[in-house]
Amino acid sequence: MSRRYLFSPLILLLLLSVFCMVTAITQGSVQLSLGQIFDVLQGQGTSLNQILVWELRVPRILAAFATGGLLAVAGALMQILLRNPLADPYVLGISGGASVAALLAILAGVTGILLSSAAFLGAALSTILVFGLAQGNGRPSPMRLLLTGVVVASGWGAFITLMLALAPPQKIPGMLFWLMGDLSYAHSPWLAWATLLPVCLVLIPLGRSLNVLARGPLQAAALGLNVKQLERFVFVIASLLTAVAVTTAGSIGFVGLVVPHILRLILGNDQRLILPACALAGGCLVTLADTVARTVIAPEQLPVGVITALLGVPTFLFLLRRGRVA
Amino acid sequence: MTLSVADLIIDIPKRSPEPLTFTMQAGQVWGVLGPNGVGKTTLLHTLAGLKMPRKGVLRLNDQDFSCVHRMSLAQQVGIMFQDHQDGFPATVMETALLGRFPHLSPWEMETEQDIKIAQHSIHRLELSSLADRSITQLSGGERQRVALASLLTQNPNIWLVDEPTNHLDLHHQVAVMSLLQEKARETKLVVMSLHDVNVAAHWCSHVILQYPDRPALVGTAESLLTLENLEPLYQQKLVRGEIEGRWVFMPSI
Amino acid sequence: MTTDKQTCFLQLCLGVLAIVMSQSMWAQTDVVRCVEDDKLRQVCVEQAAQRIAALSPGATELIYAAGAGDQVVAVVSYSDYPPEAKQVTSVGSHTRLDLERLVSLKPDLVLAWRTGNPSEQIATLERIGMRVYYVEPHNFDDIADNIVDMAVLAGTEETGKKVALEFLKGIEGLAHTYKNADPVSTFYQVWDEPLMSMNHAHYISKVVELCGGVNVFADSPRLIPRLNQEAILIKNPEAIIAGGMGERNAHWLDKWRAFPELKATQQNNLFFVPPSLIQRPTPRLLEGAKVMCEKLETARQHRG
Repeated sequence: MSRRYLFSPLILLLLLSVFCMVTAITQGSVQLSLGQIFDVLQGQGTSLNQILVWELRVPRILAAFATGGLLAVAGALMQILLRNPLADPYVLGISGGASVAALLAILAGVTGILLSSAAFLGAALSTILVFGLAQGNGRPSPMRLLLTGVVVASGWGAFITLMLALAPPQKIPGMLFWLMGDLSYAHSPWLAWATLLPVCLVLIPLGRSLNVLARGPLQAAALGLNVKQLERFVFVIASLLTAVAVTTAGSIGFVGLVVPHILRLILGNDQRLILPACALAGGCLVTLADTVARTVIAPEQLPVGVITALLGVPTFLFLLRRGRVA
Repeated sequence: MTLSVADLIIDIPKRSPEPLTFTMQAGQVWGVLGPNGVGKTTLLHTLAGLKMPRKGVLRLNDQDFSCVHRMSLAQQVGIMFQDHQDGFPATVMETALLGRFPHLSPWEMETEQDIKIAQHSIHRLELSSLADRSITQLSGGERQRVALASLLTQNPNIWLVDEPTNHLDLHHQVAVMSLLQEKARETKLVVMSLHDVNVAAHWCSHVILQYPDRPALVGTAESLLTLENLEPLYQQKLVRGEIEGRWVFMPSI
Repeated sequence: MTTDKQTCFLQLCLGVLAIVMSQSMWAQTDVVRCVEDDKLRQVCVEQAAQRIAALSPGATELIYAAGAGDQVVAVVSYSDYPPEAKQVTSVGSHTRLDLERLVSLKPDLVLAWRTGNPSEQIATLERIGMRVYYVEPHNFDDIADNIVDMAVLAGTEETGKKVALEFLKGIEGLAHTYKNADPVSTFYQVWDEPLMSMNHAHYISKVVELCGGVNVFADSPRLIPRLNQEAILIKNPEAIIAGGMGERNAHWLDKWRAFPELKATQQNNLFFVPPSLIQRPTPRLLEGAKVMCEKLETARQHRG
C-alpha cells in the first residue's frame, strides 16, 4: 500500500505505452525507420514523411490510445458501480444509445461536430433512461440496473437494425462504422484526450472511496461514504467516457470488459492503481490493435474492433485459467 | 460517551413496532435478543445511522444524529454486518484496511502506521496466515473474523455487531467474545444482536428484549434474563439450570 | 410516357450540343483547366494531372475511358475493368482507404466517390492539400460529363470527348430506335436477398425507359426500395430482369418460375443482363443498355 507499490506498475505501464506509440508510429503501409521519424519530429525529413507522421499517423495513434483509455476506465467504473465483473458500457446500453443517435444524425445528413454531439446526447439519454428506469421506487440494486441496461441495450439494437433496414444503401458503410468501431475515420483525438486526462485526475482522490464502494453500498455507507452521490457521479463519468469514446472511434467493444479484468488479475483490487493502469493499458491495447488493423492485410484496412476482440479473448481466457497471481 | 434514543420506532416494512427509549453508556456490553424477524438487525442499522427510523430521536453524546457528518459518525460508530457482501474480490489484508477509510482524507495514502494497525487486527483474530488470501476463498467462520478484523482496524467508540458468533467454532466464539469484552473494558460501547441467550447471559451487562407483540424490555442482563421474560420472547418453554455458578437456559422438550 | 421519352431525347441532344460547343472554349483556356465536379465545386489544374488516384471501380472505368489510363497510379479493390487496372496499386477498399499508401503514391488528382468513400477520409486528403474531384453520375449526361471533365483534368480532351460523344450518340440511337416501341412493364432485380429494385431517379431505371420499358417501381419513394415477393406479384410485370454482383446469377430467376401465373413467367420473359455492364455508371452502360433493349424487344415478340 505504499507509494512505491502504486507507482512501480504505473511507471512500467507508462514505459509500455511510450513503446506502443513509438512502435505504432514506425509501422504502416510505408515503413519509416526510427531515424526518419526522429527527423520528422525535429521538423526535418521529406514533406511526404511529414504528412505521413503528422497528418495521418500521430492523430490516429493519439485517438486510438485515448479511446482505449476511455473505454477501459469506463468499464472499470461500471464494474465497481454494479459490483459485477460483467458490466461494461456496452452491456448497459450506453454505447447503444450513442450509436442510435449517431445513426439518426447520419440519416439526417449531419456530419462533423454535430454528429459527435448527437452521439454524446444519445449516450447521455441512454444513461438517464437506464438509471431512471432502474431507480423505480427506491435504490437501484445492481442486478436491477444490469437487467435494465441489458433490456435497454437490446432496444437500441432493434432501433439500429430498423435504421439499417431503412437506410439508403449508400449510407450503410458510414453507418456500419459506428457499430463496428473503426479508427480509419477518426479525425480528431483532442476531445478524447481532453476528457481522459481530467477524469483520471478526478479519479485519483476518489480511488479509496471506490475501493470501499466496491464492497457494497451498505458497507460503504457504514464506513462514512455518501453512497448515492458517489454512485451518481461514477455513472455520469462512465457515460461521459463512453460517449466520447464512441464519438471518436465508433463502438469498439471488449476493451472495457477485458482490460480491467486482466489488470485486476495481475495487480489486485486497489482502484487507485487499477484506474490509471486501465487508462494506460487500454490505450496500449487499442493502439497496438489498430496498428495491426491497418497493416496486417494492407492495403485492405480492418476495423480495430475485430482486432481488439481477437487479441483480447485468448489473453483473457489464459489469465482466467491461471488465476490471480498471489 | 453515550448513545441514547427516545421514542424510537424502527422502520420494518408492514409492521408497527413499539417505541424504544434507552441510554447506552461507554463500557457496557449490550445484547439485543428476540425471535427471528423482530428487527434486531434493523435496530443495529438504525443505531449505525444507515437506516432512518420511522420516528424518534437518536443522540450521540447529546448531539442529534442528523447533525453529525457521515464521515465523523463513521469514526465514532462502526458496524459489522451479518451478511458479508463480497461483490468484488479482495484479499484479507485489503479488507482489514477498509477500517482505516473513515480516518483518512481523500488524498492520503495509507501509511505504515495504518498497515501496522491492520496487521495487528489480523493477528488478533488469528488470520495472519491468511493475510494475502482472497476473501472469496475463505470459509464462513474465517470470513466472519475478517469482518471483525475490519471493525477492529476501524476501532470506533461504538461497536455494533450483528450476530458475532455466527459460523464460529467454540474456540473462536470465546476468542471473539473476549475481544468484545476487552473493548468494553477499554471504555468502548459494544452492542450486539444475539440469537443465543446463553451468550448474552454470560457476556452482556445489559439486554434489550424485542417482543413482536408488546413493548421491548430494556435493562441489566441480570434482572431481565428470567424464564418469565424469555419464554414469551421465544414462545418456547424453557428450563434453567446452573453450571459452574452460571445460569444456562435450555428449551424444554 | 411519351413526353418523358421526348424530354429524355431532348436532353441527350442538348448534351451532345454542349460538348461540341465547349470544345472550342477549352482550346482558349490552356493554362488553367477548370471543371465543375459532382459536388458542384470548381476543380482546377495548372498542368494536366499526371498521377491520378481513382477511389471507386466506377471512377477507374471512367478515367480509363477518358483516355488517361496510363496516368492512373492508385485504384481500389474490385477495380477490374479495364483489365489493365488490375495491375495498378490498390489502396484498399473504397469504404476504408489506406491513406498512407495513397499519400505515398503522391497523386496530383484524386477521383473520389461522393457517397461511397468515407467523407472523413476524403476530408483528410483535402486538408493535406490533395486535389479532389467528386464523381457521382446519376444519368447518361453525367457519365459523359464525368468523362469529359476527367479528360480535361488529365489533358486527354480529345479521347475523352470522342468517347463521351460516342457514348451519348449510342444512347441517342437507342432512344431513337425505341421511341415508339410498345411499353413493357419491367421489374429490374438489383439484388436477391433482400429483394431490391430501384426507382425512377436511378440510372438503371433510365435505361429501362430508354428501351421502352416501364419500371414497375419507378414511383417508389426510395432510390433502392427493399421489397418482398408479394410486391412483385401484385405489380405482375411483363418482364423480369436480374442483375447482381456476379456474372452467374441465373438462379435468381429460378424462384420466379415457381409463380406460373406471373406474366413474366408465363411469357418466358425472365432475363439476365450481366451486372458488370449495367450496375456501374460507366460507358459500358451503353452495352448494357443494348442488351436490355434486346431483352425487352424479345419480350414484345413473346406476346401472342
